[in-house]
Amino acid sequence: MDRMTNIILEAHNLTKSYPVGDRTMAILDEVSLTIAAGQFVIIAGSSGSGKTTLLTLLSGLDRPSSGRVIMAGQDITDLSEDGLARLRNEQIGFVFQAFHLVPSLNALENVMFPAELKQDRLAGEKAAKLLQRVGLWERRQHFPEQLSGGEKQRVAICRALINSPKILFADEPTGNLDSKNSDAIIDLLAELHREHGTTLVLATHSSDIAERAQRIIRLCDGRLSSDEGM
Amino acid sequence: MLHYRFLFRELIQARKQAAVFVLCVALSISTIVALNGFKNNVNRSILGDARTLQGGDILLHSHYEFTQALRQAVTDLEQTEAVRGVRAYEFYSVIRSTTGDRTLFTRLKAVESGYPLYGRVELQSGRPFDQVLRAGQVVVEQEVLDRLGLQIGDPVHIGSVVLTIVDVVTHEPDRPVEIFALGPRVFVSTQDLDRLQLIGKGSRVEYKILLKIDGDDATINALAARLALTAQPEQERVNTYRTANSGVKRFFDNLFFFLSLISIFTLFLAGIGMQTSLAALLREKEKTLAIIKAMGAPGSFLFRHYLALVLFLGLIGCLVGIAAGFIVEHLLPLLFAGLLPAGTALSFSVADSGEGLLIGALVVIFFTFLPLYNLRNIRPVAIFRNDTAATARGIFFYPVVLGGFSVLTILVVRQLQDLKTGLYFMAGTSALILCTSLLTRVILAVSRKIPITPLSLRQAHKSLFRPGNATRSIIVTLASALSVLLTIYLVQTNLSATYIESYPPDAPNLFFLDIQPDQKEAFTREIGSVVELFPVIRARLVTINGQPVKEQQGSKRRGDSLTREFNLTYRNTLLADEVIKNGNALFRKDATGSIPLQVSVLDTVAEMGDMHVNDTLEFNIQGVPLQAQVTSIRTRTKSRLYPFFYFVFPEEFLHDAPQTFFAAQHVNKDAIAGLENRIVTSFPNISFINMAETAAQLGGLTRRLTIVVNFFAGFSILAGILIIVGSIFATRLARIREAVYYKILGSGSRFVLSVFIYEHLFLGLFSSFLAVILAQAGSWGLCRYLFDIGYSPHWPVCLLLILLTAALVVGVGVLSSIDIIRQKPAIVLREQNGG
Repeated sequence: MDRMTNIILEAHNLTKSYPVGDRTMAILDEVSLTIAAGQFVIIAGSSGSGKTTLLTLLSGLDRPSSGRVIMAGQDITDLSEDGLARLRNEQIGFVFQAFHLVPSLNALENVMFPAELKQDRLAGEKAAKLLQRVGLWERRQHFPEQLSGGEKQRVAICRALINSPKILFADEPTGNLDSKNSDAIIDLLAELHREHGTTLVLATHSSDIAERAQRIIRLCDGRLSSDEGM
Repeated sequence: MLHYRFLFRELIQARKQAAVFVLCVALSISTIVALNGFKNNVNRSILGDARTLQGGDILLHSHYEFTQALRQAVTDLEQTEAVRGVRAYEFYSVIRSTTGDRTLFTRLKAVESGYPLYGRVELQSGRPFDQVLRAGQVVVEQEVLDRLGLQIGDPVHIGSVVLTIVDVVTHEPDRPVEIFALGPRVFVSTQDLDRLQLIGKGSRVEYKILLKIDGDDATINALAARLALTAQPEQERVNTYRTANSGVKRFFDNLFFFLSLISIFTLFLAGIGMQTSLAALLREKEKTLAIIKAMGAPGSFLFRHYLALVLFLGLIGCLVGIAAGFIVEHLLPLLFAGLLPAGTALSFSVADSGEGLLIGALVVIFFTFLPLYNLRNIRPVAIFRNDTAATARGIFFYPVVLGGFSVLTILVVRQLQDLKTGLYFMAGTSALILCTSLLTRVILAVSRKIPITPLSLRQAHKSLFRPGNATRSIIVTLASALSVLLTIYLVQTNLSATYIESYPPDAPNLFFLDIQPDQKEAFTREIGSVVELFPVIRARLVTINGQPVKEQQGSKRRGDSLTREFNLTYRNTLLADEVIKNGNALFRKDATGSIPLQVSVLDTVAEMGDMHVNDTLEFNIQGVPLQAQVTSIRTRTKSRLYPFFYFVFPEEFLHDAPQTFFAAQHVNKDAIAGLENRIVTSFPNISFINMAETAAQLGGLTRRLTIVVNFFAGFSILAGILIIVGSIFATRLARIREAVYYKILGSGSRFVLSVFIYEHLFLGLFSSFLAVILAQAGSWGLCRYLFDIGYSPHWPVCLLLILLTAALVVGVGVLSSIDIIRQKPAIVLREQNGG
């Protein structure tokens, strides 16, 4: 009962399908799950298993073909685009495999951006703290194209955390990094997860990373195949 | 609230595309600003100096001697009011040197002492005109001296007398612009007019009385109204300097109207350029925009910021456009050299600039609406997928587009100052762009079906369909612009070929005017061969089926009006190039009609007045009313320089009316000078026009006007070039990737370069090929149905256009792609892998 009250994310019968020619192809098929607040959850599976699609549906980046998503007790499935935008801005952080920094903004500006959208007067201070925390303060004026892969991902993590989100979604955050940088990024995410108490939902196919999580949800061909550590 | 830093960063990052967008905005308004400014300056100088241009405050005008009543009214005014008047007579006449070996067709003007009332007749000697032009003396234009081989002080034969040339006129106030004149000016004194014996019964003389009033406009209008009551309706015209229709103003009105059409067309193409460059830019930024949405930015954030960006760039574009327009405006006098009214001053006008800003703002908002509106369709999930944003319209889309289209239509109508033409123009331009767009689809679809074997050609062809490529926009814009340019050239060339260049060897080359009935036989003897003489009776059309004809009735296209004076003729047979269009015969054999007098009408004038067989027309022949019933409508089978008459009557009815004769004769080139001399000597009152010479003069004027038109039309080509450059910038990343992949797979820079060259060659060839098809179809239609002339397609010129376009597009394309070709694969791969 106690665990139920701490649930931050619920998915009920999530299905996502796309028309391919004259037939419909299901990428995700009737997936249901719940995630407790503060958990570090890995969504694992081989390439094409539906990890990224599940992540986009859980985070409100995309809408399911059927099923419902409930975040912090609020059904977000039918929220308007602007409603979802506000939710993403205030309650969710993202870290992507390809970093997806805004190319026209420098490191500091990229980190500040979500806070500025919220009209947070302390955006600059918060961004500075975060960049110092990840050791990139000296590189704050650099634009994405002037940063290395590891640096870009650290900036992306700072940007994801600046609004103190309830949930942090990370999609293959080490997919474009070498092993040294990969370890550093996972260490950083784990530390920040601990420091901020943020729920971390991380999609990966790496078994090394999976070992560090509290819970591993495995997907196979768009279906939930196992759920370890519940 | 705006995120200024984000805006600034976006602007800096997309500076090349921004520059293209700014140039498109500037281009869209520069020609309109230039033209409007120039038009206003010319109009100001024409209207501001209208008194000088018209020669008086009140102008009385007639093709016949003024009636006694009007003459008396003028005399009364001159005695009782603060009114001063001068009489002037204008007509064409041939003059000759006293040695008798050279003749010249001239525009003779006999003026009273006191002329001009406004302005000055400037003479080469600098002396006052009034002191120089006395009885027995003549003042001529330099051309008269040059062509007759005379000098000041030499005698010259005019009519029946010999007068002495005393000076050369360099500027004449009420004839300031030499648009097109059949002959140079010769001034004589009215004291010599009777002695000249040039004005016979029915001669083509313009009788003028110019009045200078010591009073304000209200006084002038009141006096003009008083004189108008006395004037013979349909024969004598009374105008004030403000109401008189200046030929100069009409010429410029027509020319500016046509140039306005071209400027708006350029505006449309530049608008497409704006839309294409912005859409391409946003398409390239789709991923970034999706990231921003993923960060939690609502749809309105992106719309608001990009709208601000677009408006900012639009404002810069407008300012650049106004500056460019001002520069172009100052270049225009070079193109219009010799055509402009004297003293036309070009000045900067805040109102013109404000208007330019307004037009620019409207154009920017209209043409960027669609790409900005589509921002709402970008979904954050696009980060993960490469599919482009869906194009869901939403409920506001169509009303907003419709509203924008209406505003644009109002803008076009306002610019053209004609609702009907504005609507036709909008419909025509939309149809042209739609038609070009459809044909582009067809050409691209067909080209995809053609197997291409050489690798570089094949890759280049596939590149046309690269996502984000503005292939269709480039082809549509270039093809539309080129088709308009080529159509202007083809129509002008075909018109020239019909009327000016291809003068048939046996066609009449000398037209003789004002042959008096008693000179018919002697004139024929002098010519020495069979002469076709056409009787000419000058008259006005007063009513059609009892309804008075109005000034506005007529053909705007032909610049004709039903209220003008017509030349009636009589004969009982059709001319060789005429056929009956409606009716059974030229005239009825029996007198079954309700009115005994019959008339056959040419189809062109019948259309102007909506005249049909059995309609009743009422004419005024020099004060005598005449009713006739239309028995047939004729049409001409060939367009050529050969006499034709709108109204033909049966011979028996008009045989005794006051008339002169007109003759059109073919004379061997070598014999022309001799014949002209004999005619001038024997029949001083008979004027003649050397049509071959006139056609050459007309050709010269046409070529000059074509240069002016091409100058304006050339701006539309710039729009096409900007779209090419914009498209290359917008697809830069995709092109770099392609170039790098080619290099990784083992191809050298030469292969990459050849792919880019071929890609642009395809664009250039497709665009020009389409332009040729459209221009040929359009020009053929215009020549066949509007001008009713034969058509020659001029294929070598079309081929030249295709080659030049291909060279231009390849040149622009390759120059814009040089940095792409030079990209190092390793750097690009590192960037792509996020390293």
